[in-house]
Formats: sequence, C-alpha cells, structure tokens
Amino acid sequence: MASSAKPSQSPKQSVGPDYRPEKQKPTATVSTEVPFENVHTLSQTPQLIALLTMIRDKNTDRADFIFYSNRIIRLLVEEGLNHLPVVEHAITTPVGRTYAGVMFQGKICGVSIMRAGEAMEQGLRDCCRSVRIGKILIQRDEETCMPKLFYDKLPEDIADRWCLLLDPMFATGGSAIMAVDVLKSRGVPENRILFLNLIASPQGIENFAKKFPELRVVTAFIDQGLDEKNYIVPGLGDFGDRFYTM
Amino acid sequence: MADMVTQRAHYSPPWADVSIIGIAAQGQDSFYKSLDEEASRKAFRNEYDFDSPDAIDFDVLVDRLRELKAGKRAEIPIYSFAKHAREKETTSIYSPHVLILEGIFALYDPRVLELLDMKIFCEADADTCLSRRILRDVEERGRDIKGCIKQWFAYVKPNFEAYVEPQRKVAVMVIQYIERKLIEKSKSHRAALKKLGQGSENDALSENVILLKQTSQVRGMNTIIQDIDTSAEDFIFYFDRIAALLVENALNNIYFESVTVETPTGNKYHGLHATGETSAVVILRAGSTFETGLRRVLPDCKTGRLLIQSNIRTGEPELHYLKLPHDIRTHDGVLLLDPQMSSGGAGLMAVQVLVDHGVPEDKIVFVTYFAGRIALKGLTKVFPGVKVVVCTTVPDFEERWVESRYLGC
Repeated sequence: MASSAKPSQSPKQSVGPDYRPEKQKPTATVSTEVPFENVHTLSQTPQLIALLTMIRDKNTDRADFIFYSNRIIRLLVEEGLNHLPVVEHAITTPVGRTYAGVMFQGKICGVSIMRAGEAMEQGLRDCCRSVRIGKILIQRDEETCMPKLFYDKLPEDIADRWCLLLDPMFATGGSAIMAVDVLKSRGVPENRILFLNLIASPQGIENFAKKFPELRVVTAFIDQGLDEKNYIVPGLGDFGDRFYTM
Repeated sequence: MADMVTQRAHYSPPWADVSIIGIAAQGQDSFYKSLDEEASRKAFRNEYDFDSPDAIDFDVLVDRLRELKAGKRAEIPIYSFAKHAREKETTSIYSPHVLILEGIFALYDPRVLELLDMKIFCEADADTCLSRRILRDVEERGRDIKGCIKQWFAYVKPNFEAYVEPQRKVAVMVIQYIERKLIEKSKSHRAALKKLGQGSENDALSENVILLKQTSQVRGMNTIIQDIDTSAEDFIFYFDRIAALLVENALNNIYFESVTVETPTGNKYHGLHATGETSAVVILRAGSTFETGLRRVLPDCKTGRLLIQSNIRTGEPELHYLKLPHDIRTHDGVLLLDPQMSSGGAGLMAVQVLVDHGVPEDKIVFVTYFAGRIALKGLTKVFPGVKVVVCTTVPDFEERWVESRYLGC
C-alpha cells in the first residue's frame, strides 16, 4: 500500500515572488503534491525552502537547528490556527473608524507527542499565550515492533477543545495514529484535531487521509518517501536528537 | 525598462538645493592642499604661504559643494597642521538645509560664488586680527611669537590686501532671502508630496506591493490591534506576532541561490540559501515597534536607525538623525521598517536616504503594518524598484496611531 504513493523524485521548480521573471528565480526541490483535501502544505516560498535547507543540513549546529526549526514551527502554528472558527466582530479604531473584523471562537489546547513534539511547544506559546498543553508518550515496543502508549496527561475538558497535535516528523504515522485514537477515546471529534508537523512522508499522509478523513494535517513539506528503516528521505535525521542531545 | 524610467515620478528631498552662505572670515581650514615634502619643510619654518588662494584646493571644495547642492552625501577632508597633510578620516555631511562655508577665500573662486545663495564679508580691524592670530598660533598650534609676526608681514597682510579685501564688493547680506527660500522650499516639498498621491486614486497598486494574505488569523489579529478597547498588553502581544509574520514575508523578497546539502541520513536535498547579508533600518520613533518581531526572525541582523519627525507647524517630514551600518551598500537585502504609512512623506524620505547611501532600489523591502493606498502608490511611482510588504491598507490615508498605542504615549 505504501508503494502506491511513492514518487521516484520530488518536484523541482523555480521559487520566488511573482513579480520576478522566471529566469531570475533559483530552482529548488519543493513539496510533493498529494490529492487529499484535508492536507494543507505551507506555501513553498523561497524563505521557507531556505529555512528547511538549514535544518536539513547535517552541518548545521544545534543552536541554529533550534532557532530555524522554531521559525518554521511558528509559521506552521500560524497556518494551523487559520482552521479554527471565527465570528464576525465589528470594532471602533483609535481614529474612530469602524472595522468589520472577526473574533476567535472556541477553546484550544496543544498535545505534544513526546519527546520531539515537545520541541514545538515554544512555537505554539509564541502565538497563543497560556495555552494548555497535554502530553502523550508513545514508544516502540521492542517485542512487537508496534508503537505502545506509555503515558498521557491531557486537559480534563479536552472534549470541548480544538486539539493541535504536535509531532515534527510524520514518517509512517504509527505513533500519530495511536495519539489520535487516544484523543478520540477522550471524546475529541476527529474534525477538531489538527496535526502539525514539519516534514511528512507521502505514505504517512496517505495512511492518515484514509483512516481519519476529517482530521486536518498541516505540514511544511511532503518529502520523497521512506527508506528501509522508515526514516523520511531526504528528511533531516532524528529531530529529537538534533534538538535535544546532539 | 524604458517604460519604467519614463513613468518614474520625481521626488526631491527637502535638503536638495541646500542654501549655502559664504562668509569671508578667518575660519575652517578643511580645504588646504596636502603639502609635498619641500612645501611641508617650508611650512614648519613658517615660510609657506597659507594665506594665498594657491594654498586652497578649490577643485575639491567645488566638487563637495556641488554634491551637497544635489542633496548627496559629501566627505569633507580634515587638514592636520601637525602633519601638513590631509587626515585619512573625513567628516561626513548629509542633508543640511543651510550650509555655512567659512574661510578667508569663501568668496574668491567664481565657481564657488555661483553656488552661494548669500555672501557675507566679515570685517575686523587689523589690530584685532593680528592679536587673535598670535593667541591662536601660540596657544593652539605651538608656534612662537616671532614666527607669527614674520608670517603676518610676509604673507597675511599683503595677501589680505591683494585677495581678501576685493571680495568685499561681491558680498551682499540678505538674511531675509535665506528665510524666504527655506519657507518656499518647505512649501514646495509639501506640495510635491501631496501631488504625488493625486490622480492616482483609480490606479491599481503596483505589483511590487505585497499584501499579507488575509487569513482568519490575520483578520482576527487586525481586529484586536485596531480595537480602541484592547489592553496595552494584548496590543503589544498581537502586534509583535504580526510584525514577525510581516518580516517573514518580507524575506521572500530578498535574493536566494540554489544549494545542495546533505542530511544526517546521507541523502541530498536541493534547497536554497540567501545570497548575501540582510540588514534592517528602522524609521524612528515608530519603527522601533517592529524590533521585537524583527529579532524573532533575524536576531543578529545589523540595524540602522533614522529619526524622521513631522514638523509640528507645517507637517513637513524632517530628518533629524541618521546612523547606518557602514557597509550597507554591500548588503543584499535591506528591510526598511515603519509600522504605518500615513501621507508617505517619511517613507519616501527614508528610501531616498538609503539610495543616497548606495543601497540599490531593488534591494530595499519596505515593511509596514498599516498603509494608505495613496502613500503606497506615491512610493512605488517614485521608486519602482522598491518592494513593499503590508498587512492592512485604507483607501486614502489615516493619521498615525500605531506607535502611540504600542509605546503608550
């Protein structure tokens, strides 16, 4: 099943602002297109590609890795929040003009899949002060090679909230599927879950789209595929290691 | 390209066509010629004629005056009496509205006379001159009295009679003239600013104006930021958040090149990296509201500052302070930050300042939160190479309010 979504090579194209002639824009590999409506990929701007280039490079040191991945995470959170509902709300400005604006609606919470997902909490807090953050620990069971739930601590009223599920690398999606199952078992409807990740594999995206058609995935980049060890290709290595211990 | 040149609107900063007052009096010595070895030996023996017009480098003086007259930056030499040569350093002059040229030959060279708006001949009697000169040379320049007196009778006095005195007949003193000229210039500057916006109501915005995508989050943040009832704490939080987004978007307009990197898993990725250095310039005081957002995206970028204030009486923008990174002309992207474009006068002036300091137009990205469309059209008409990234626009223009909300006063 995984092989059906595996392109031989990710698309390469010129990247740059619209006003610039095509031949003045440098080329780069951009995100693979996928045919699923619930998958939202960040706009492939030159700046985003440059940030991804920084964190993919094995020669980037940890301080830079943390800084540049945080910038992408903030952009992901900003995009993710656009899927939350708003209501019309008119206000008066300091110069007395009326502005027909909108007001944010609904309570939210973050849920990070330990440990790499916790690296995305700062970016979430940069956009949403004092947001509640639950945690889920899922580890691979050495005997069965299947993901196993070890620990979870979630807000009690989570069923009334929109959930931003955080995990930077979306490879096969094994642990993310388990995390979504945990959230659903606590009463969170599928269509109120947003899964934010930096780099996804086409296989993971396809698994998810079929299993949870109403859940929205927001990602910065869909990569070429997976290698035999289920690492994303070209990917960036182990996100948790590069962020926390390397 | 030809189209671009013909359609470009003209903007002349208020300091172009500076009023220059020439005062023929004992004054600054910036434009002495550097002396060769022989002349230098003579100078140390008090036998070099500093009081002859030949000692003055009128060619350089005329060049510098012409630069200033054109509104450009000019580097004024510094003459060292200790070395009898020019120092390596220079004094920079930029954007004066009135310039005073002082020196005994201020009214001597016909090319200089042509550039002067006003000529003053300053007279003092010979006793006063001689005694002042002795005090200055002995106390400040370490000469002895004998040498001073020798110089006076050998050079100073004959030169005065031959060259300085005759300048008297070209000197006219008309203070009112300068005042009138300054008022006229201020008026025509304001009129030119106003005219730039006129007739463009129906024009579409230039494609160089990039409007931040109006997502529901952006609209929600706009609502909070514009609401007069929003607390200061919330205003600052949401403004910083949107400022960071604006800077992220601005960075899509700098220059990149392809690069291939290897990932820790041994795969290659064909990506991009910026071709050069990006710096920022904040237009004070309002531009400082962008700095928290800027630091979230570019924590260590070099940051220039310039203070432009509108004159309380006339509303004319005035440049008060300027400090730019010394290598700014070599930067590959310069973000010019001002949260609000009202009439657009300050923005125009700031771009002109960057251009005068060697930053090519197409390397400038103007980043603003709130702009009147008239101001946006004016700016892109005068500087068709400049890109503008903006969050919210209004049809005509609006008084500034962002900075006073952010800074609380």
